[in-house]
Amino acid sequence: MRELTDRHWDAVVIGTGMGGGVAGRALAEAGLSVLFVEKGRAGWRREANGTEAATDPVARGVRGLWPDPVTLRMGGREREVFAPLGMGVGGSSVFYAATLERPEPHDLDPSNAVPHPVGGWPVRYAAMAPWFDAAERMFAVRGGADPLSAVACPELGAAVVSDADRAMMAHLAGNGMHPYALHAALRDVAGCASCLGRKCPRPCKMDGRSAGVEPALATGRAAMLDRCDVTRLVMDGNRVAGIEAVRDGARVTLRAARVVLAAGALNSPLLLRRSACEGWADGVANRSGMVGRNLMFHLNETFAVWPKGAERGDGPSKAVGFRDLYAVDGRRMGMVQAMGIDAGRGEIAHYMGQRIAGTWAARLPGARRVVQAGAVLAHGAMGRAKLFVGLLEDMPDAGNRVFEDRGRPGRIVVEYRVADEAQVRRRMFRRAIRSAFAGRRMAFVNRGAEPNLGHPCGTVRMGDDPAVAPLDAGCRAHGIENLWCVDAGVFPTSMGVNPSLTIAANALRVVEGMRHG
Amino acid sequence: MDELAVVTGAGGGLGRALSVVLARQGVRVVGLGRSAGALEETAGLIGERFVAMPCDVADAAAVRAAFVEVDRIGAVTILMNNAAVHPRHDILDETAESFAATVDVNLGGTVACTVAALGRMVATGTGRIVNVGTFADVAPLPASAAYAVSKGAQRIFTRTLVADLHDRFPGIVVNDWMPGMLDTGMGVSDGIEPEVAAEWGAALALWRDASLTGTVWERDREVLSPRAVAERLRDRLTGRRRVARRITT
Repeated sequence: MRELTDRHWDAVVIGTGMGGGVAGRALAEAGLSVLFVEKGRAGWRREANGTEAATDPVARGVRGLWPDPVTLRMGGREREVFAPLGMGVGGSSVFYAATLERPEPHDLDPSNAVPHPVGGWPVRYAAMAPWFDAAERMFAVRGGADPLSAVACPELGAAVVSDADRAMMAHLAGNGMHPYALHAALRDVAGCASCLGRKCPRPCKMDGRSAGVEPALATGRAAMLDRCDVTRLVMDGNRVAGIEAVRDGARVTLRAARVVLAAGALNSPLLLRRSACEGWADGVANRSGMVGRNLMFHLNETFAVWPKGAERGDGPSKAVGFRDLYAVDGRRMGMVQAMGIDAGRGEIAHYMGQRIAGTWAARLPGARRVVQAGAVLAHGAMGRAKLFVGLLEDMPDAGNRVFEDRGRPGRIVVEYRVADEAQVRRRMFRRAIRSAFAGRRMAFVNRGAEPNLGHPCGTVRMGDDPAVAPLDAGCRAHGIENLWCVDAGVFPTSMGVNPSLTIAANALRVVEGMRHG
Repeated sequence: MDELAVVTGAGGGLGRALSVVLARQGVRVVGLGRSAGALEETAGLIGERFVAMPCDVADAAAVRAAFVEVDRIGAVTILMNNAAVHPRHDILDETAESFAATVDVNLGGTVACTVAALGRMVATGTGRIVNVGTFADVAPLPASAAYAVSKGAQRIFTRTLVADLHDRFPGIVVNDWMPGMLDTGMGVSDGIEPEVAAEWGAALALWRDASLTGTVWERDREVLSPRAVAERLRDRLTGRRRVARRITT
C-alpha cells in the first residue's frame, strides 16, 4: 500500500462509479498515472447481488451498497430510506439497468419551443455530441433509433428485441406513439442473464467497473486503493495540495497533480463542504454557496401494464421506450421506458402501502405485515404485469439540498420539496401516459411524488458565472487550478433521460479539456 | 465441466462410499481423513481418480495446507463435509476438553473446509457444498451431548452460509443432507447400507440447481421448510402446492 500512498500521481480519482471509472480510464489511456480511491471494498468479480439486500450496514457494505440509509426530509416528514447507492468498484452503476439514453438537444441548449430551466448548459449539445458518440462506443450501447429524433447515434449497435416487446411496441404505435428499442449497455455475451438491478458477474453489462476501472487497470498505468475513505481535501491557496483519507484505521495523505472528484452527486458536495478551511470558509469550491444545493432527482411515475396476447412473452419487458411525451404543451416531461422487471412483491407492497398511507389503516398495529401479506396475494394477480416508468424532469431549486448530518458524521441528509409546478406537470404526464397505453389495463404504482433516489444530480453544478456555479464549463472548480468534478453533481438540469450516458460522455469531455486546457 | 470433489472422512463408512460413487461418475476425488492407511484402502477400491490426502479436519492449519495441495490437482468444485465423530460420553463423564474435541471435528472441520473451499469457489462463482448432517439436535440421544450440539451447530452454519452467499453467489449451491441411520462404524447394524445412501449423496452433490441452496434433504427426499402464513394462504388460493423433490440416481 505504501507504494500507492507515497507516490505523486498524475491524477487521483475519488470514487469509481460511472464518472470516476470513465475519467480514470480516459486519463490512463492518455498515458497518465491514475490512482482510483474507492471507499467500498473491491469485492469479488463473480458477485451477482442486487440492491434489495439487508438493512444491516455491515451486510450492505460487503455487497457493495452504501451502508446507511439516507435521511429524506420531504413534505413535512422525515424518513430513512435506503437509496440505490453503491459503495464499491463501479459505484452505483454496477446495480443500474444499463439504460444509456441520450438527452435531447433542448436538454442542454436554449429552446423557444421548450424553454430551458436555466437558459442552457454552459456546454452545448453540438459540443457534447462527439462525446456521446464516444461513450456509446465505449459502453457498446445497443438499441433502436428514436423515430422522433433528428440526431443520429452512429455508434449504436443493433438491439435484440423480444417478440413480446415487439408486440407491445406495435400496440403503442397504434396509439400514435413512436416506440423504439431502449439503448442498453449489455453486450449479451454467452450466459447473459440481463443483470438489470444487480451486479453482473460476467464481462457483459458495461458499467463504471467493466467499461471504466477494469480497462484503466489493464493499461498498467492505473491502480486502485479500495476501503479508502476520503475525509478532506487539503488546500494550498488555489490548489488542492493533498487528499486526506483513512484506510484500515490509518490516516494517509495522497498527492496528485490533478484531483478528479467523482463521489456521486450526494457525496461529492459533502466532501467539499467538509474540507472547509481558511480561504474556503464555506467549503472547497463553494464561494457560490451552491455546493450541495439545486439537488434534483427524476420524479418517477411508475406504472404496471397488463399485456395482452403476444405482448405477454416469457420475461419482463426490457427494451421498450418512447419520447412522444418528452415535452407536452411546451412543458418538460421526460422519457417513458420499460423497467426491465416484472411487478414483484416489493413494488406491490409499496403500492399498497402508499394506498393506505395517511389513512387510519396505516396506524393499526401490524399494518406493515398486513400489507406484505396482501402483496404476496396480489402478486399472483399482478405478477403478469409489466412495469414501466416515466422519468419526469426535475427543476433546479436552491432550497433542495444535500448535507451531512451534524450529529452523525458521514450520514446523508436530503431536504427536498416538490414544487407546485412539478405537481402540475406530474398530472399532465400521468394523463398523457394513460392515453399512450389506451386499450390496456394499467395502474400507477405511486400516488405521491416519488423522487428517484438513484438519479441525484445538480449539487456541484457547472456554469460560466462563479457567483452561481461551483464549476466552470470544463467542470473545473472556479478558482481552483487542479480540481475537477465528473459525476452527475455537475448537471445544471436533470434532463428527461437516465443520467448515466451523460455522466460518461461528460467525463470524457472533461478529461480532454484537462489534458489540453 | 471437470468436477473435483473434496470428501472429508473418506477413509471409511459413508465417506468411502461417496468417494467410490463420485469417482464412478467421472469425478476426481480428493479424500481427507486422519488415517493414511484407511485412505489407501479407499484408493485401492477406486484407482487413479482418488487422491488420498491424510489430514485431521479439526486442525485448521492442516486443512489450509491440504487445500493448497488440492490446488495442485485442480480447482475444487464440490465439497462434501462428511467427517464426523460420535463418542458416547455420559455428560457426567464428559470434560470441557473432550466436548471441545468433538466440536472441533464436527463443526470446526466443516467450517475450516468450507472456508478453504469458498476461497476458491468465489473465483468462478460456482461450486457445490453438501453438509452431511443429522437430526440429532432435534431429539438428542443420551450420552451424545457433544455430537448433538456440534451437528446442530453445523446445520446453523449451513444457514449462515445461505445468509452470506445466496444473493451474492447464486452459483455456489449449499445445502444439508441427512443420509439417515447408516450401517457404518458410527451408525447402527440394521441401518441403510452406506453404498445405497452414497448413491443419493453423490447425485445431490452433482445437482447444481441454484434452488437447492438452503434446502434440507433426508435420504433421497427433500424436507420442505415450514411456510409463512401468507405464503400458505396464497398456495391455498392459487391452488399451487409445493412438492418435495426426490433424488433420482
